[in-house]
Amino acid sequence: MINNQLKNIAEQAKIDLKECRNHNDILNIRAKYLGKKSLVNSLYSQLRDLPEEERPSFGKKVNELRNELEKIIEEKEKEIKLQIVNAYDSVQAQDLTLPGVYILPGSLHPLTIIRRRMENIFISLGFQIVEGPDIEDEYHNFDALNTPEDHPSRNLADTFYLDNGYLLRTQTSTVQVRTMESFPPPIYIISPGRCYRNDKPDPSHSPVFHQVEGLVVDKGISMADLKDTLQFFAQAMFGPEVKSRIRPHFFPFTEPSAEMDISCVSCQGKGCRICKNSGWLELAGAGMVDPNVLDMMHIDNQIYSGYAFGIGIERIAMLKYNIPDMRILYENDVRMLRQFSRELI
Amino acid sequence: MIISRNWLSQYIDLPDDINELIQTLTFSGIEVESVKEIPALPETVVTAKILSSEKIPGTEHLQLCQVDFGKETLQVVCGAPNCHTNMITVLAKVGTILPTLQIEANRIHGVESEGMLCSEKELGLSENHTGIIELPQDTHIGISVNEIYELPDIILELEITPNRPDLLGYIGIARDLSASLDRPLKLPAITKIGGENVPTIKLILELNDSEKCPRYTARIMDQIRVKESPLWLKNALIKSGFRPINNIVDVTNYVMLETGQPLHAFDYHKLKPIHPEDPYPAIIVRRAKPQEEFIALDGNKYYLDEEDLVIADGQKPSALAGIIGGRDTAVNNETTTIILESANFAPSTIRKTSLKYKISTDSSYHFERHLSPAYLEEVSNRAIELILKVAGGIVCNELYDAYPKPQKPLYLSIRPSRFEELIGYKLDIQLIKKYLIALGFQFIGLGPWQKDAIYEESLPKLLYQEQDKTSDKDLFDNPQMALYFLVPAYRIDITREADIIEELARLDGFDKIPQKKTIHPIMDWHAHYIKRKIEDYFRQVGFYEMINPSFIDPTKLEYFIEDKTEFDKKIIRIRNPQSSNQSAMRTNMLPQLLDNLLFNLNHSERNLKLMEMGKLYWKDSGKHYENLHLTAIMTGFNALDHWKAKNNAIDIYDVKGVIEGLLDQLGIPIDKMKNVHYPWLVEADNLAYFCNNQLCAYVGRLKAKTAEKFGIDITTLKQDIWILEVEVNTLIKLTRNHKTKFSPLPKFPSVIRDISFLINLSIPYAEIVNSIKQVEPYLIKEVNIFDEYRGKGIPNGWHSISLHIILQDCKKTLTEERVEQVIDSVRKMLENTWQIKMR
Ligand SMILES: [Zn+2]
Repeated sequence: MINNQLKNIAEQAKIDLKECRNHNDILNIRAKYLGKKSLVNSLYSQLRDLPEEERPSFGKKVNELRNELEKIIEEKEKEIKLQIVNAYDSVQAQDLTLPGVYILPGSLHPLTIIRRRMENIFISLGFQIVEGPDIEDEYHNFDALNTPEDHPSRNLADTFYLDNGYLLRTQTSTVQVRTMESFPPPIYIISPGRCYRNDKPDPSHSPVFHQVEGLVVDKGISMADLKDTLQFFAQAMFGPEVKSRIRPHFFPFTEPSAEMDISCVSCQGKGCRICKNSGWLELAGAGMVDPNVLDMMHIDNQIYSGYAFGIGIERIAMLKYNIPDMRILYENDVRMLRQFSRELI
Repeated sequence: MIISRNWLSQYIDLPDDINELIQTLTFSGIEVESVKEIPALPETVVTAKILSSEKIPGTEHLQLCQVDFGKETLQVVCGAPNCHTNMITVLAKVGTILPTLQIEANRIHGVESEGMLCSEKELGLSENHTGIIELPQDTHIGISVNEIYELPDIILELEITPNRPDLLGYIGIARDLSASLDRPLKLPAITKIGGENVPTIKLILELNDSEKCPRYTARIMDQIRVKESPLWLKNALIKSGFRPINNIVDVTNYVMLETGQPLHAFDYHKLKPIHPEDPYPAIIVRRAKPQEEFIALDGNKYYLDEEDLVIADGQKPSALAGIIGGRDTAVNNETTTIILESANFAPSTIRKTSLKYKISTDSSYHFERHLSPAYLEEVSNRAIELILKVAGGIVCNELYDAYPKPQKPLYLSIRPSRFEELIGYKLDIQLIKKYLIALGFQFIGLGPWQKDAIYEESLPKLLYQEQDKTSDKDLFDNPQMALYFLVPAYRIDITREADIIEELARLDGFDKIPQKKTIHPIMDWHAHYIKRKIEDYFRQVGFYEMINPSFIDPTKLEYFIEDKTEFDKKIIRIRNPQSSNQSAMRTNMLPQLLDNLLFNLNHSERNLKLMEMGKLYWKDSGKHYENLHLTAIMTGFNALDHWKAKNNAIDIYDVKGVIEGLLDQLGIPIDKMKNVHYPWLVEADNLAYFCNNQLCAYVGRLKAKTAEKFGIDITTLKQDIWILEVEVNTLIKLTRNHKTKFSPLPKFPSVIRDISFLINLSIPYAEIVNSIKQVEPYLIKEVNIFDEYRGKGIPNGWHSISLHIILQDCKKTLTEERVEQVIDSVRKMLENTWQIKMR
């Protein structure tokens, strides 16, 4: 009778275990057969009611049953764990040609990309970035930069004027003037920003455009330093194979003045449509800061000398990215911008 | 290297102020790692003799001593194991205050003790605490210990850089100080030591590897008495961190400390000849044989290989060259005849062998740093002089000296002009000479500079001989004019002009180097970084950057104003515009961005995120203003088509997400949100963000009527147009004082609990979160919503909200009970405040 009871419990446990599918089921079975209120525990409580002489053999049998149950439950637990692990370590058939999920970024404007690259290049040379206002007075835009009263660039046809003698700066050199007013040499700065000239929009002109201007004032600065800097810039921007040259030019605020050319990035100097068969592309205006400009800033032009340069951001962007018409840059066509989403900055 | 100020002062007059000495050492390139003052001991600490000592019954090792300190006899209890009758030791009388203790009369095990017998540690002399101090028998009784230990003294621990082996001895440091302090160097007079011809005591010396051992010298001394060193010698060693052993070993250590050159002494009679019948023992400097056995001084056994250099007798190695001596040939109290080795070993061989067998000794440390072989005889003489003084004996024979390729003299030329180029200022030529001569350089003359060092016995004729009367200034108009110096052999580190220039710059002081340029920080780096971060943020969340002109058609601006007369006062007009639609400076970028939007919609682009960061311009009472601003537009779907994700039309939460993500990235907390009322934005479908009462940004849906003005027909577009405005300058201002600082990581884990409940729709989420946080502000770190549901199964006007509540205690692990308690309070608060229904 008791033997049967024990046998039934064992049989039932085996049936229950067969139904086991997961870890939770195992926990339930363990509770049912071996836990505090389990069948096996209730057998132990029967022990008290048995006659003295039957107790040892019954106790022994219950212990055997408990050990047996422990064993088969543990085995099942191991089996289930193995199943879970095996399932985890394998995968159902899937189509791996379906695309993965990722976030698509937008794009910065190529003018911003170029501006930031130029800033990085000049920062690597020890220049600091300084910005200033777009709306300027005639003093900072012309007088302080040695531009005579009757100079043609002061014309309405060239410069946008606002009320009360204010105007929109025609170059970011105005920032240089403001820096020299506030800080003594040595000065190593670049000033990126918007400039305005009364040009009709065409493939190479825009009334609003962007410039990076540089200014260095220190002891012993020569035109050779200017050449080194511009050459470094050209190679950092366009690659080590690019050659550069400077040739004489005129700007009111530099003496001597020069324009800087680089070897054509499209034909490598052999001559093509872009460089009008000259093999050279104009890149920057530059020169040694005019002694009068230093004088106006109360910098001793016998002790200090300096150079300045101005580089058009649109020009660089067009050359670097092969953009044929400046107006494309101002259309803000997302299809154009999308082409720059992978550009490194 | 550990040095005693008193010992150092034997070689140079030192400044009285220890800080001046430390300063001088530091700025001449010798870093002082620690300074320990040994103050003078009280006059109540005196030498004394133990007249008798007897064990105190019932104690382990306490002895009762009768101690005589000259004036009277005291009874002192002592527990030191080495305490014995007739011992001369140090007594601290009652009332003495020592660095770590105060001596009082007391009873120990019922016995009266009237003072204390002291160890070196108790007196603050060293770390030695193995027993009480034992002084030589001839020490006077009752004298102050200050006299015996040369107190007070200061112990300096110096860091000697690996390029300066010449500083590994007191003399080297004194020499450097003599150059930087401009005080004379006082070298011990070393007498030339000859030798008595002792025909029976001679030596066979063979040097078989002059690569690994450039020079080996040996000297034999007979009839010496090995014993304990005199006090002065022991004290000197103790203060420099050495343990006294016997007078011979102590002298070799003393001379190494003084000169930097390690020495070794062998017991002559323990060295074997090459053939048993030979009359004299041998010293053979050779490579070890494969698996050759060597038992070192410390008893450790090594099996050597052919890469190792040994000093062997006729049979087996008696020392591992330059590293450690052998057990079987060591000097002990029975030794009467010694061989004093003064040798030079190549750094590489010492380093390899020392690494291989993991043996690092003071000797190997010195040799690894490359010593010069030029001074071995002088060092040997110095040691012999001291041995004669402390151990007696006679010197047998002349010096045995194997020196196949003597170190060649090295000449260098140095241009004063080059000093100026390299260091940045002119150094007077007389100073150049003075510094270098003080360092032991010998001035040879003037001549044209030569790039390479000259290793010759003597210099070829110079163009100019020293002309003291010629003004140096005239002579050195030529930048190639140079001063020629003979480099002292101990300066192994100096082989080029640049090395000499370094010495000069160091001695003259780096503080003399002028600051040539003061580059003013002009750039606003903070604004630079923030602007770039904002640009990058918008790009990363999918926006395309627009760049529009600063000019605008003023009539288009009028759709975005609230007051026409104010607007007219504000707007800046261009006197000579190219056309009327470019006749004003923009006060708002929206018209341009809406034009951009239409342009792109017309090119079949439906999902558009456009932004521009640029200046806005206006005037006020005649003054012009420019302000950096960002405007953005969003329309269409939030992401591109994807087979996996459901693609939703952009709604206000997407737009809010852009701004809230940006403010979060910039670390700007939002302290207020409220609706704005602009004629072009749909009422109530907009929101403005504030921090410190400053407007940071606002978002809103563009009215269809306004869109229409720009040619955008909402009825056919069937998409919302969302506007985002960001006050870039305000963001720059609000973040200007932000500093990223590491804070220690929490040591205790955080706990996450979920709660879900039904709540009336009229109650704002922000308010719910705030009141939850206030339940336990210290523990509740975060409250995040992870589900919101309304509709089927939820009563009308209510919705279901599910929250993650993250709890953490910075000071201890949260218990399950505490967490339950907090969550329970949250639940009760929610029920009481808003009558929520838990789910
Ligand atoms: Zn070309």
